[in-house]
Amino acid sequence: MSANVTSMRDVLYEAPGPKMRRRIIIGTVISLIVVLIGLALIIRQFYVTGQLAPRYWELFLKPTTWAFLGRGFLGTIQVAVTAGAIALVLGMVLMLGRISKIAPLRVVSRIIIDFFRGVPSLLLIYFFFLVIPKYGIRMPSFWMLTLPVAFAASGVLAEVFRAGVNAVPKGQTEAAMSIGMTDGKIMSKIVLPQALKIVIPSLVSQLVVVVKDTTVAYVVSYPDLMQNARVLITNYDVLVSMYFVIAIIYILVNFGINQLSIWMARRSGTRIITRNTEDPI
Amino acid sequence: MTEDQRIDTVSSTHDAGAQPSIEHAASSAAEQSSSSVPTIEMRHVDKHFGDLHVLRDINLRVEKGEVLVVIGPSGSGKSTLIRTINRLETIDSGEILLEGKTLPLEGKELAALRSEVGMVFQSFNLFAHKTILENVTMGPIQVLGMPKKEAEEKAMELLKRVGVAEQAAKVPAQLSGGQQQRVAIARSLAMNPKAMLFDEPTSALDPEMINEVLEVMVELAQGGMTMIVVTHEMNFARRVANRVIFMADGQIVEEDTPANFFDNPKTDRARDFLDSIKGH
Repeated sequence: MSANVTSMRDVLYEAPGPKMRRRIIIGTVISLIVVLIGLALIIRQFYVTGQLAPRYWELFLKPTTWAFLGRGFLGTIQVAVTAGAIALVLGMVLMLGRISKIAPLRVVSRIIIDFFRGVPSLLLIYFFFLVIPKYGIRMPSFWMLTLPVAFAASGVLAEVFRAGVNAVPKGQTEAAMSIGMTDGKIMSKIVLPQALKIVIPSLVSQLVVVVKDTTVAYVVSYPDLMQNARVLITNYDVLVSMYFVIAIIYILVNFGINQLSIWMARRSGTRIITRNTEDPI
Repeated sequence: MTEDQRIDTVSSTHDAGAQPSIEHAASSAAEQSSSSVPTIEMRHVDKHFGDLHVLRDINLRVEKGEVLVVIGPSGSGKSTLIRTINRLETIDSGEILLEGKTLPLEGKELAALRSEVGMVFQSFNLFAHKTILENVTMGPIQVLGMPKKEAEEKAMELLKRVGVAEQAAKVPAQLSGGQQQRVAIARSLAMNPKAMLFDEPTSALDPEMINEVLEVMVELAQGGMTMIVVTHEMNFARRVANRVIFMADGQIVEEDTPANFFDNPKTDRARDFLDSIKGH
Protein backbone atom coordinates (compact mmCIF):
# COMPACT_ATOMS: atom_id res chain seq x y z
CA MET A 1 0.00 0.00 0.00
CA SER A 2 2.68 2.49 1.03
CA ALA A 3 4.43 1.92 -2.27
CA ASN A 4 1.14 2.67 -3.99
CA VAL A 5 0.69 5.94 -2.11
CA THR A 6 4.20 7.14 -2.86
CA SER A 7 3.88 6.44 -6.53
CA MET A 8 0.55 8.28 -6.60
CA ARG A 9 2.17 11.24 -4.85
CA ASP A 10 5.03 11.22 -7.30
CA VAL A 11 2.51 11.50 -10.09
CA LEU A 12 0.56 14.34 -8.51
CA TYR A 13 3.40 16.37 -6.99
CA GLU A 14 6.99 16.79 -8.00
CA ALA A 15 9.52 15.51 -5.46
CA PRO A 16 10.41 18.24 -2.90
CA GLY A 17 13.81 19.91 -3.18
CA PRO A 18 16.08 20.82 -0.22
CA LYS A 19 14.38 24.17 0.52
CA MET A 20 10.94 22.62 0.28
CA ARG A 21 11.98 19.81 2.58
CA ARG A 22 13.09 22.31 5.23
CA ARG A 23 9.78 24.14 4.92
CA ILE A 24 7.90 20.84 5.27
CA ILE A 25 9.77 20.06 8.51
CA ILE A 26 9.05 23.55 9.94
CA GLY A 27 5.39 23.24 8.93
CA THR A 28 5.13 19.82 10.55
CA VAL A 29 6.57 21.06 13.85
CA ILE A 30 4.33 24.13 13.94
CA SER A 31 1.16 22.19 13.17
CA LEU A 32 2.06 19.58 15.82
CA ILE A 33 2.43 22.34 18.40
CA VAL A 34 -0.93 23.85 17.37
CA VAL A 35 -2.66 20.48 17.67
CA LEU A 36 -1.13 19.83 21.11
CA ILE A 37 -2.17 23.26 22.35
CA GLY A 38 -5.70 22.66 21.04
CA LEU A 39 -5.91 19.30 22.81
CA ALA A 40 -4.59 20.84 26.04
CA LEU A 41 -7.22 23.58 25.82
CA ILE A 42 -9.98 21.03 25.35
CA ILE A 43 -8.84 18.95 28.31
CA ARG A 44 -8.49 22.11 30.40
CA GLN A 45 -12.02 23.14 29.47
CA PHE A 46 -13.28 19.69 30.40
CA TYR A 47 -11.50 20.06 33.75
CA VAL A 48 -12.73 23.60 34.40
CA THR A 49 -16.33 22.68 33.69
CA GLY A 50 -16.00 19.57 35.82
CA GLN A 51 -16.49 17.11 32.97
CA LEU A 52 -13.54 15.06 34.11
CA ALA A 53 -15.22 14.38 37.45
CA PRO A 54 -15.38 10.64 38.19
CA ARG A 55 -19.19 10.62 38.29
CA TYR A 56 -19.26 11.28 34.55
CA TRP A 57 -16.92 8.46 33.71
CA GLU A 58 -17.31 5.70 36.30
CA LEU A 59 -20.32 4.20 34.52
CA PHE A 60 -17.93 3.11 31.78
CA LEU A 61 -16.36 0.76 34.33
CA LYS A 62 -19.61 -1.18 34.67
CA PRO A 63 -20.03 -4.17 32.34
CA THR A 64 -23.79 -3.49 32.17
CA THR A 65 -23.10 -0.15 30.48
CA TRP A 66 -21.08 -1.84 27.79
CA ALA A 67 -23.58 -4.65 27.45
CA PHE A 68 -26.32 -2.07 26.86
CA LEU A 69 -24.20 -0.06 24.43
CA GLY A 70 -23.19 -3.34 22.77
CA ARG A 71 -26.84 -4.22 22.13
CA GLY A 72 -27.27 -0.79 20.60
CA PHE A 73 -24.17 -1.32 18.53
CA LEU A 74 -25.57 -4.61 17.21
CA GLY A 75 -28.82 -2.81 16.40
CA THR A 76 -26.88 -0.19 14.44
CA ILE A 77 -24.95 -2.85 12.55
CA GLN A 78 -28.14 -4.77 11.72
CA VAL A 79 -29.84 -1.69 10.34
CA ALA A 80 -26.75 -0.49 8.49
CA VAL A 81 -26.01 -3.86 6.88
CA THR A 82 -29.64 -4.50 5.90
CA ALA A 83 -30.14 -0.96 4.61
CA GLY A 84 -26.80 -1.09 2.77
CA ALA A 85 -27.72 -4.39 1.09
CA ILE A 86 -31.17 -3.15 0.06
CA ALA A 87 -29.68 0.13 -1.19
CA LEU A 88 -27.07 -1.68 -3.30
CA VAL A 89 -29.67 -3.87 -5.00
CA LEU A 90 -32.27 -1.11 -5.39
CA GLY A 91 -29.62 1.38 -6.53
CA MET A 92 -28.49 -1.08 -9.20
CA VAL A 93 -32.06 -1.68 -10.38
CA LEU A 94 -32.77 2.07 -10.50
CA MET A 95 -29.55 2.70 -12.42
CA LEU A 96 -30.42 0.01 -14.98
CA GLY A 97 -33.83 1.63 -15.36
CA ARG A 98 -32.26 5.05 -15.69
CA ILE A 99 -30.06 3.96 -18.61
CA SER A 100 -32.69 1.69 -20.19
CA LYS A 101 -33.61 2.07 -23.84
CA ILE A 102 -37.30 2.13 -22.85
CA ALA A 103 -38.21 5.80 -22.38
CA PRO A 104 -41.03 5.50 -19.79
CA LEU A 105 -38.88 3.25 -17.61
CA ARG A 106 -36.08 5.80 -17.88
CA VAL A 107 -38.33 8.67 -16.82
CA VAL A 108 -39.85 6.79 -13.88
CA SER A 109 -36.43 5.66 -12.66
CA ARG A 110 -35.12 9.17 -12.91
CA ILE A 111 -38.02 10.59 -10.89
CA ILE A 112 -37.55 7.96 -8.17
CA ILE A 113 -33.80 8.55 -8.04
CA ASP A 114 -34.16 12.32 -7.82
CA PHE A 115 -36.83 11.98 -5.16
CA PHE A 116 -34.75 9.68 -2.95
CA ARG A 117 -31.69 11.83 -3.46
CA GLY A 118 -33.44 15.11 -2.87
CA VAL A 119 -35.51 14.29 0.22
CA PRO A 120 -33.65 14.25 3.57
CA SER A 121 -33.63 10.76 5.07
CA LEU A 122 -35.18 12.12 8.26
CA LEU A 123 -38.22 13.19 6.25
CA LEU A 124 -38.44 9.71 4.72
CA ILE A 125 -38.32 8.23 8.21
CA TYR A 126 -41.17 10.48 9.34
CA PHE A 127 -43.09 9.31 6.31
CA PHE A 128 -42.66 5.66 7.29
CA PHE A 129 -43.27 6.43 10.97
CA LEU A 130 -46.24 8.79 10.75
CA VAL A 131 -47.87 8.53 7.33
CA ILE A 132 -47.74 4.86 6.37
CA PRO A 133 -49.26 3.55 9.66
CA LYS A 134 -52.27 5.78 9.01
CA TYR A 135 -53.09 3.59 6.04
CA GLY A 136 -53.12 0.55 8.24
CA ILE A 137 -49.68 -0.77 7.36
CA ARG A 138 -47.94 -1.76 10.56
CA MET A 139 -44.27 -2.56 10.53
CA PRO A 140 -41.67 -3.04 13.27
CA SER A 141 -39.48 -0.06 14.15
CA PHE A 142 -36.52 -1.88 12.55
CA TRP A 143 -38.12 -1.54 9.12
CA MET A 144 -39.41 1.94 9.78
CA LEU A 145 -35.76 2.91 10.14
CA THR A 146 -34.10 0.54 7.67
CA LEU A 147 -36.34 1.14 4.65
CA PRO A 148 -36.10 4.95 4.56
CA VAL A 149 -32.35 4.85 5.14
CA ALA A 150 -32.03 2.26 2.36
CA PHE A 151 -34.23 4.26 -0.03
CA ALA A 152 -32.32 7.47 0.58
CA ALA A 153 -29.03 5.69 -0.08
CA SER A 154 -30.34 3.85 -3.17
CA GLY A 155 -30.93 7.14 -4.98
CA VAL A 156 -27.35 8.18 -4.45
CA LEU A 157 -26.00 4.70 -5.22
CA ALA A 158 -27.93 4.63 -8.50
CA GLU A 159 -26.09 7.77 -9.56
CA VAL A 160 -22.77 6.37 -8.31
CA PHE A 161 -23.33 3.22 -10.39
CA ARG A 162 -24.29 5.32 -13.39
CA ALA A 163 -21.13 7.38 -13.09
CA GLY A 164 -19.19 4.09 -13.06
CA VAL A 165 -20.99 2.77 -16.14
CA ASN A 166 -20.33 6.05 -17.97
CA ALA A 167 -16.67 5.86 -17.01
CA VAL A 168 -16.21 2.55 -18.87
CA PRO A 169 -14.83 3.49 -22.29
CA LYS A 170 -17.29 3.23 -25.18
CA GLY A 171 -14.84 1.03 -27.07
CA GLN A 172 -15.46 -1.77 -24.56
CA THR A 173 -19.15 -1.83 -25.49
CA GLU A 174 -18.41 -1.56 -29.20
CA ALA A 175 -15.96 -4.43 -29.05
CA ALA A 176 -18.53 -6.56 -27.24
CA MET A 177 -21.18 -5.60 -29.81
CA SER A 178 -18.81 -6.49 -32.64
CA ILE A 179 -18.44 -10.08 -31.42
CA GLY A 180 -22.23 -10.37 -31.29
CA MET A 181 -22.93 -10.05 -27.57
CA THR A 182 -26.48 -9.00 -26.65
CA ASP A 183 -27.20 -5.86 -24.58
CA GLY A 184 -27.80 -7.79 -21.38
CA LYS A 185 -24.58 -9.75 -21.66
CA ILE A 186 -22.60 -6.66 -22.57
CA MET A 187 -23.87 -5.01 -19.39
CA SER A 188 -23.34 -7.98 -17.07
CA LYS A 189 -20.07 -9.36 -18.48
CA ILE A 190 -18.25 -6.31 -19.78
CA VAL A 191 -19.56 -2.98 -18.46
CA LEU A 192 -20.71 -3.65 -14.88
CA PRO A 193 -17.62 -5.56 -13.71
CA GLN A 194 -15.45 -2.65 -14.81
CA ALA A 195 -17.86 0.00 -13.55
CA LEU A 196 -18.05 -1.54 -10.06
CA LYS A 197 -14.29 -1.56 -9.74
CA ILE A 198 -14.22 2.13 -10.60
CA VAL A 199 -16.85 3.13 -8.04
CA ILE A 200 -15.72 1.09 -5.01
CA PRO A 201 -14.41 4.19 -3.17
CA SER A 202 -17.66 6.12 -3.73
CA LEU A 203 -19.71 3.08 -2.71
CA VAL A 204 -17.86 2.88 0.57
CA SER A 205 -18.28 6.54 1.40
CA GLN A 206 -21.99 6.04 0.78
CA LEU A 207 -21.95 3.10 3.21
CA VAL A 208 -20.50 5.48 5.81
CA VAL A 209 -23.45 7.81 5.17
CA VAL A 210 -25.80 4.86 5.75
CA VAL A 211 -24.19 4.16 9.14
CA LYS A 212 -24.54 7.81 10.08
CA ASP A 213 -28.14 7.93 8.87
CA THR A 214 -29.07 5.15 11.31
CA THR A 215 -28.45 7.54 14.20
CA VAL A 216 -31.90 9.04 13.74
CA ALA A 217 -33.29 5.75 15.08
CA TYR A 218 -34.60 7.59 18.13
CA VAL A 219 -37.39 8.98 15.96
CA VAL A 220 -38.88 5.48 15.70
CA SER A 221 -37.50 4.36 19.11
CA TYR A 222 -35.39 1.67 17.57
CA PRO A 223 -32.66 0.63 20.03
CA ASP A 224 -29.51 1.45 18.05
CA LEU A 225 -26.25 2.69 19.52
CA MET A 226 -27.38 6.31 19.55
CA GLN A 227 -30.77 5.53 21.09
CA ASN A 228 -29.25 3.38 23.86
CA ALA A 229 -26.68 6.08 24.53
CA ARG A 230 -29.51 8.59 24.95
CA VAL A 231 -31.18 6.26 27.46
CA LEU A 232 -27.96 6.10 29.48
CA ILE A 233 -27.55 9.88 29.23
CA THR A 234 -30.98 10.44 30.78
CA ASN A 235 -30.49 7.80 33.47
CA TYR A 236 -26.99 8.81 34.58
CA ASP A 237 -26.96 12.49 33.51
CA VAL A 238 -23.67 12.00 31.61
CA LEU A 239 -24.16 13.97 28.41
CA VAL A 240 -20.64 14.98 27.32
CA SER A 241 -18.72 11.87 28.32
CA MET A 242 -21.33 9.58 26.73
CA TYR A 243 -21.40 11.47 23.43
CA PHE A 244 -17.63 11.53 23.49
CA VAL A 245 -17.43 7.74 23.83
CA ILE A 246 -20.02 6.90 21.17
CA ALA A 247 -18.52 9.45 18.77
CA ILE A 248 -15.28 7.49 19.04
CA ILE A 249 -17.17 4.25 18.40
CA TYR A 250 -18.79 5.71 15.23
CA ILE A 251 -15.43 7.02 14.06
CA LEU A 252 -13.87 3.58 14.57
CA VAL A 253 -16.69 1.85 12.67
CA ASN A 254 -16.40 4.20 9.72
CA PHE A 255 -12.62 4.00 9.82
CA GLY A 256 -13.05 0.23 9.64
CA ILE A 257 -15.31 0.57 6.60
CA ASN A 258 -12.74 2.77 4.90
CA GLN A 259 -9.97 0.27 5.62
CA LEU A 260 -12.20 -2.42 4.14
CA SER A 261 -12.54 -0.37 0.96
CA ILE A 262 -8.78 0.06 0.69
CA TRP A 263 -8.38 -3.67 1.17
CA MET A 264 -11.04 -4.35 -1.48
CA ALA A 265 -9.45 -1.95 -3.93
CA ARG A 266 -6.07 -3.58 -3.37
CA ARG A 267 -7.52 -7.02 -3.74
CA SER A 268 -9.23 -6.26 -7.04
CA GLY A 269 -6.05 -4.56 -8.20
CA THR A 270 -3.59 -7.24 -7.16
CA ARG A 271 -5.78 -9.99 -8.52
CA ILE A 272 -4.96 -8.69 -11.96
CA ILE A 273 -1.24 -8.60 -11.37
CA THR A 274 -0.93 -11.99 -9.67
CA ARG A 275 -2.96 -13.68 -12.39
CA ASN A 276 -0.10 -13.80 -14.84
CA THR A 277 1.75 -16.24 -12.59
CA GLU A 278 -1.10 -18.71 -12.78
CA ASP A 279 -1.46 -21.39 -15.37
CA PRO A 280 -3.11 -20.04 -18.52
CA ILE A 281 -5.76 -22.75 -18.72
CA MET B 1 5.39 -19.76 -36.56
CA THR B 2 8.55 -17.91 -35.63
CA GLU B 3 9.27 -14.26 -36.20
CA ASP B 4 11.65 -14.99 -39.10
CA GLN B 5 9.25 -17.23 -40.94
CA ARG B 6 6.57 -14.64 -40.75
CA ILE B 7 8.78 -11.97 -42.22
CA ASP B 8 9.61 -14.44 -44.99
CA THR B 9 6.00 -14.85 -45.98
CA VAL B 10 5.60 -11.12 -46.07
CA SER B 11 8.56 -10.50 -48.31
CA SER B 12 7.57 -13.31 -50.65
CA THR B 13 4.13 -11.76 -51.21
CA HIS B 14 5.82 -8.48 -51.77
CA ASP B 15 7.77 -9.99 -54.64
CA ALA B 16 4.71 -11.51 -56.20
CA GLY B 17 3.22 -8.12 -56.84
CA ALA B 18 1.42 -9.11 -59.99
CA GLN B 19 -0.75 -11.69 -58.29
CA PRO B 20 -3.33 -9.41 -56.64
CA SER B 21 -4.24 -7.73 -59.89
CA ILE B 22 -4.92 -11.10 -61.48
CA GLU B 23 -7.23 -11.92 -58.61
CA HIS B 24 -8.80 -8.57 -59.04
CA ALA B 25 -9.52 -9.21 -62.65
CA ALA B 26 -11.26 -12.41 -61.62
CA SER B 27 -13.33 -10.70 -58.98
CA SER B 28 -14.37 -7.85 -61.21
CA ALA B 29 -15.37 -10.40 -63.79
CA ALA B 30 -17.56 -11.97 -61.13
CA GLU B 31 -18.96 -8.55 -60.41
CA GLN B 32 -19.97 -7.96 -63.99
CA SER B 33 -21.63 -11.29 -64.45
CA SER B 34 -23.04 -10.96 -60.88
CA SER B 35 -23.35 -14.72 -60.80
CA SER B 36 -22.06 -14.87 -57.22
CA VAL B 37 -23.57 -13.07 -54.23
CA PRO B 38 -21.12 -10.50 -52.86
CA THR B 39 -20.08 -10.95 -49.22
CA ILE B 40 -20.72 -7.29 -48.49
CA GLU B 41 -22.83 -4.97 -50.58
CA MET B 42 -23.82 -1.34 -49.97
CA ARG B 43 -26.52 0.27 -52.14
CA HIS B 44 -27.11 4.02 -52.19
CA VAL B 45 -26.12 4.42 -48.56
CA ASP B 46 -26.50 7.91 -47.06
CA LYS B 47 -25.79 9.13 -43.58
CA HIS B 48 -25.80 12.49 -41.80
CA PHE B 49 -24.34 13.57 -38.49
CA GLY B 50 -26.60 16.56 -37.92
CA ASP B 51 -25.89 18.90 -40.82
CA LEU B 52 -22.82 16.98 -41.86
CA HIS B 53 -23.37 14.63 -44.78
CA VAL B 54 -20.86 11.93 -43.83
CA LEU B 55 -21.79 9.26 -46.38
CA ARG B 56 -23.10 10.28 -49.82
CA ASP B 57 -24.68 7.64 -52.01
CA ILE B 58 -22.16 4.91 -51.26
CA ASN B 59 -22.30 1.91 -53.59
CA LEU B 60 -19.91 -0.90 -52.94
CA ARG B 61 -19.49 -4.60 -53.59
CA VAL B 62 -16.94 -6.76 -51.85
CA GLU B 63 -16.67 -10.30 -53.20
CA LYS B 64 -15.78 -13.34 -51.16
CA GLY B 65 -12.05 -13.45 -50.48
CA GLU B 66 -11.52 -9.91 -51.68
CA VAL B 67 -9.34 -7.42 -49.81
CA LEU B 68 -10.53 -3.83 -50.10
CA VAL B 69 -8.45 -0.95 -48.77
CA VAL B 70 -10.22 2.31 -47.94
CA ILE B 71 -8.05 5.37 -47.95
CA GLY B 72 -8.74 9.08 -47.58
CA PRO B 73 -8.20 12.19 -45.48
CA SER B 74 -9.51 12.29 -41.90
CA GLY B 75 -13.18 13.20 -41.79
CA SER B 76 -13.78 11.70 -45.21
CA GLY B 77 -16.15 9.10 -43.77
CA LYS B 78 -13.98 6.00 -44.11
CA SER B 79 -14.38 4.89 -40.48
CA THR B 80 -18.09 5.63 -40.60
CA LEU B 81 -18.34 3.57 -43.78
CA ILE B 82 -17.00 0.39 -42.25
CA ARG B 83 -18.77 0.98 -38.94
CA THR B 84 -22.11 0.98 -40.78
CA ILE B 85 -21.40 -2.51 -42.07
CA ASN B 86 -21.90 -4.10 -38.65
CA ARG B 87 -24.24 -1.33 -37.64
CA LEU B 88 -22.08 0.33 -35.01
CA GLU B 89 -23.39 3.33 -36.95
CA THR B 90 -26.91 3.48 -38.32
CA ILE B 91 -27.65 4.70 -41.82
CA ASP B 92 -30.29 7.19 -42.97
CA SER B 93 -31.17 5.57 -46.27
CA GLY B 94 -29.95 2.91 -48.65
CA GLU B 95 -29.30 -0.73 -48.01
CA ILE B 96 -26.47 -2.86 -46.68
CA LEU B 97 -26.46 -6.57 -47.50
CA LEU B 98 -24.37 -9.39 -46.13
CA GLU B 99 -24.25 -12.41 -48.40
CA GLY B 100 -27.34 -11.04 -50.08
CA LYS B 101 -29.32 -10.55 -46.89
CA THR B 102 -30.31 -7.12 -45.61
CA LEU B 103 -28.72 -6.06 -42.34
CA PRO B 104 -31.17 -6.62 -39.46
CA LEU B 105 -32.08 -3.43 -37.59
CA GLU B 106 -31.88 -4.62 -33.98
CA GLY B 107 -32.11 -7.37 -31.41
CA LYS B 108 -30.82 -10.91 -31.51
CA GLU B 109 -30.70 -10.98 -35.32
CA LEU B 110 -28.42 -7.96 -35.36
CA ALA B 111 -26.22 -9.43 -32.64
CA ALA B 112 -26.02 -12.69 -34.59
CA LEU B 113 -25.02 -10.82 -37.72
CA ARG B 114 -22.35 -8.85 -35.90
CA SER B 115 -20.85 -12.11 -34.70
CA GLU B 116 -20.31 -13.04 -38.35
CA VAL B 117 -18.41 -9.87 -39.17
CA GLY B 118 -15.17 -9.36 -37.27
CA MET B 119 -14.10 -5.86 -36.32
CA VAL B 120 -10.68 -4.61 -35.31
CA PHE B 121 -10.51 -1.12 -33.81
CA GLN B 122 -7.84 1.55 -33.87
CA SER B 123 -7.68 1.52 -30.06
CA PHE B 124 -7.74 -2.32 -29.75
CA ASN B 125 -10.63 -2.24 -27.22
CA LEU B 126 -9.62 -5.45 -25.49
CA PHE B 127 -11.80 -6.17 -22.45
CA ALA B 128 -9.66 -4.51 -19.79
CA HIS B 129 -10.84 -6.65 -16.86
CA LYS B 130 -10.31 -9.99 -18.60
CA THR B 131 -7.18 -11.97 -19.33
CA ILE B 132 -5.95 -12.30 -22.91
CA LEU B 133 -7.33 -15.84 -23.05
CA GLU B 134 -10.70 -14.73 -21.65
CA ASN B 135 -10.82 -11.94 -24.24
CA VAL B 136 -10.63 -14.52 -27.00
CA THR B 137 -12.99 -17.06 -25.40
CA MET B 138 -15.62 -14.42 -24.50
CA GLY B 139 -17.37 -14.53 -27.88
CA PRO B 140 -17.35 -18.30 -28.42
CA ILE B 141 -18.59 -18.98 -24.86
CA GLN B 142 -21.11 -16.14 -24.48
CA VAL B 143 -22.38 -15.87 -28.05
CA LEU B 144 -21.86 -19.28 -29.65
CA GLY B 145 -22.41 -21.23 -26.43
CA MET B 146 -19.23 -23.20 -26.93
CA PRO B 147 -18.05 -25.28 -23.93
CA LYS B 148 -15.29 -23.50 -22.00
CA LYS B 149 -12.71 -26.20 -22.57
CA GLU B 150 -13.20 -26.21 -26.33
CA ALA B 151 -13.23 -22.40 -26.50
CA GLU B 152 -9.95 -22.25 -24.60
CA GLU B 153 -8.28 -24.78 -26.86
CA LYS B 154 -9.38 -22.86 -29.91
CA ALA B 155 -8.32 -19.56 -28.36
CA MET B 156 -4.84 -20.87 -27.57
CA GLU B 157 -4.53 -22.03 -31.18
CA LEU B 158 -5.49 -18.55 -32.43
CA LEU B 159 -3.18 -16.83 -29.97
CA LYS B 160 -0.37 -19.05 -31.22
CA ARG B 161 -1.25 -18.11 -34.78
CA VAL B 162 -0.93 -14.39 -34.02
CA GLY B 163 2.18 -15.00 -31.92
CA VAL B 164 1.01 -14.05 -28.42
CA ALA B 165 0.26 -17.45 -26.86
CA GLU B 166 2.78 -16.84 -24.05
CA GLN B 167 0.75 -13.82 -22.92
CA ALA B 168 -2.50 -15.77 -22.49
CA ALA B 169 -2.74 -15.31 -18.71
CA LYS B 170 -1.92 -11.61 -18.65
CA VAL B 171 -4.37 -8.71 -18.79
CA PRO B 172 -4.38 -6.32 -21.76
CA ALA B 173 -2.64 -3.47 -19.89
CA GLN B 174 0.44 -5.69 -19.54
CA LEU B 175 0.86 -6.09 -23.31
CA SER B 176 2.38 -3.80 -25.90
CA GLY B 177 0.10 -2.10 -28.42
CA GLY B 178 1.17 -4.46 -31.18
CA GLN B 179 0.48 -7.49 -29.02
CA GLN B 180 -2.90 -6.11 -27.97
CA GLN B 181 -3.92 -5.52 -31.58
CA ARG B 182 -2.92 -9.07 -32.52
CA VAL B 183 -5.05 -10.36 -29.62
CA ALA B 184 -7.93 -8.22 -30.93
CA ILE B 185 -7.56 -9.93 -34.30
CA ALA B 186 -7.56 -13.33 -32.60
CA ARG B 187 -10.69 -12.32 -30.66
CA SER B 188 -12.47 -11.56 -33.93
CA LEU B 189 -11.21 -14.73 -35.60
CA ALA B 190 -12.54 -16.83 -32.73
CA MET B 191 -16.04 -16.12 -34.06
CA ASN B 192 -15.19 -17.61 -37.49
CA PRO B 193 -16.26 -14.40 -39.22
CA LYS B 194 -17.30 -14.29 -42.88
CA ALA B 195 -15.55 -10.97 -43.26
CA MET B 196 -13.28 -8.77 -41.20
CA LEU B 197 -13.37 -4.99 -40.88
CA PHE B 198 -10.23 -3.12 -39.83
CA ASP B 199 -10.63 0.48 -38.67
CA GLU B 200 -7.13 2.02 -38.89
CA PRO B 201 -5.64 -0.96 -37.06
CA THR B 202 -2.09 0.39 -36.97
CA SER B 203 -2.73 4.10 -36.44
CA ALA B 204 -2.39 3.95 -32.66
CA LEU B 205 0.77 1.86 -32.74
CA ASP B 206 4.39 2.81 -32.25
CA PRO B 207 6.25 2.49 -35.57
CA GLU B 208 8.20 -0.60 -34.55
CA MET B 209 4.97 -2.48 -33.82
CA ILE B 210 3.14 -1.74 -37.04
CA ASN B 211 4.75 -4.56 -38.99
CA GLU B 212 3.92 -7.32 -36.53
CA VAL B 213 0.24 -6.42 -36.94
CA LEU B 214 0.40 -6.01 -40.71
CA GLU B 215 2.08 -9.41 -41.00
CA VAL B 216 -0.86 -11.04 -39.28
CA MET B 217 -3.22 -9.20 -41.63
CA VAL B 218 -1.22 -10.24 -44.69
CA GLU B 219 -1.49 -13.87 -43.58
CA LEU B 220 -5.22 -13.49 -43.14
CA ALA B 221 -5.58 -12.00 -46.61
CA GLN B 222 -3.56 -14.82 -48.10
CA GLY B 223 -5.72 -17.31 -46.26
CA GLY B 224 -8.69 -16.01 -48.27
CA MET B 225 -10.36 -13.81 -45.65
CA THR B 226 -12.72 -11.18 -47.00
CA MET B 227 -11.41 -7.90 -45.61
CA ILE B 228 -12.18 -4.20 -45.66
CA VAL B 229 -9.25 -2.25 -44.26
CA VAL B 230 -9.16 1.46 -43.50
CA THR B 231 -5.47 2.22 -43.53
CA HIS B 232 -2.78 4.56 -44.81
CA GLU B 233 -0.23 1.76 -45.03
CA MET B 234 0.46 1.92 -48.76
CA ASN B 235 2.84 -1.02 -48.77
CA PHE B 236 0.21 -3.17 -47.19
CA ALA B 237 -2.33 -2.01 -49.76
CA ARG B 238 0.03 -2.72 -52.65
CA ARG B 239 0.88 -6.14 -51.30
CA VAL B 240 -2.54 -7.62 -50.55
CA ALA B 241 -5.35 -5.33 -51.66
CA ASN B 242 -7.39 -6.29 -54.71
CA ARG B 243 -8.90 -2.84 -54.83
CA VAL B 244 -8.40 0.56 -53.27
CA ILE B 245 -11.19 3.06 -52.81
CA PHE B 246 -10.36 6.69 -52.13
CA MET B 247 -12.90 8.65 -50.11
CA ALA B 248 -13.33 12.39 -49.63
CA ASP B 249 -16.25 14.31 -48.14
CA GLY B 250 -18.29 11.16 -47.68
CA GLN B 251 -18.02 10.05 -51.29
CA ILE B 252 -16.10 7.35 -53.06
CA VAL B 253 -14.00 9.53 -55.33
CA GLU B 254 -11.79 6.91 -56.91
CA GLU B 255 -11.70 3.13 -57.17
CA ASP B 256 -8.86 1.19 -58.72
CA THR B 257 -6.20 -1.47 -58.28
CA PRO B 258 -3.55 -0.46 -55.75
CA ALA B 259 -0.87 -0.19 -58.44
CA ASN B 260 -2.98 2.09 -60.63
CA PHE B 261 -4.25 4.17 -57.77
CA PHE B 262 -0.92 4.82 -56.07
CA ASP B 263 1.07 5.33 -59.27
CA ASN B 264 -1.51 7.15 -61.42
CA PRO B 265 -4.26 8.69 -59.32
CA LYS B 266 -6.97 10.06 -61.61
CA THR B 267 -8.30 12.91 -59.49
CA ASP B 268 -6.49 15.95 -58.08
CA ARG B 269 -7.81 15.26 -54.61
CA ALA B 270 -6.33 11.78 -54.59
CA ARG B 271 -3.06 13.12 -55.96
CA ASP B 272 -2.90 15.84 -53.28
CA PHE B 273 -3.72 13.37 -50.58
CA LEU B 274 -1.11 10.85 -51.73
CA ASP B 275 1.49 13.61 -51.88
CA SER B 276 0.66 14.65 -48.33
CA ILE B 277 1.04 11.15 -46.89
CA LYS B 278 4.13 10.34 -48.91
CA GLY B 279 5.73 13.43 -47.40
CA HIS B 280 6.72 11.60 -44.24
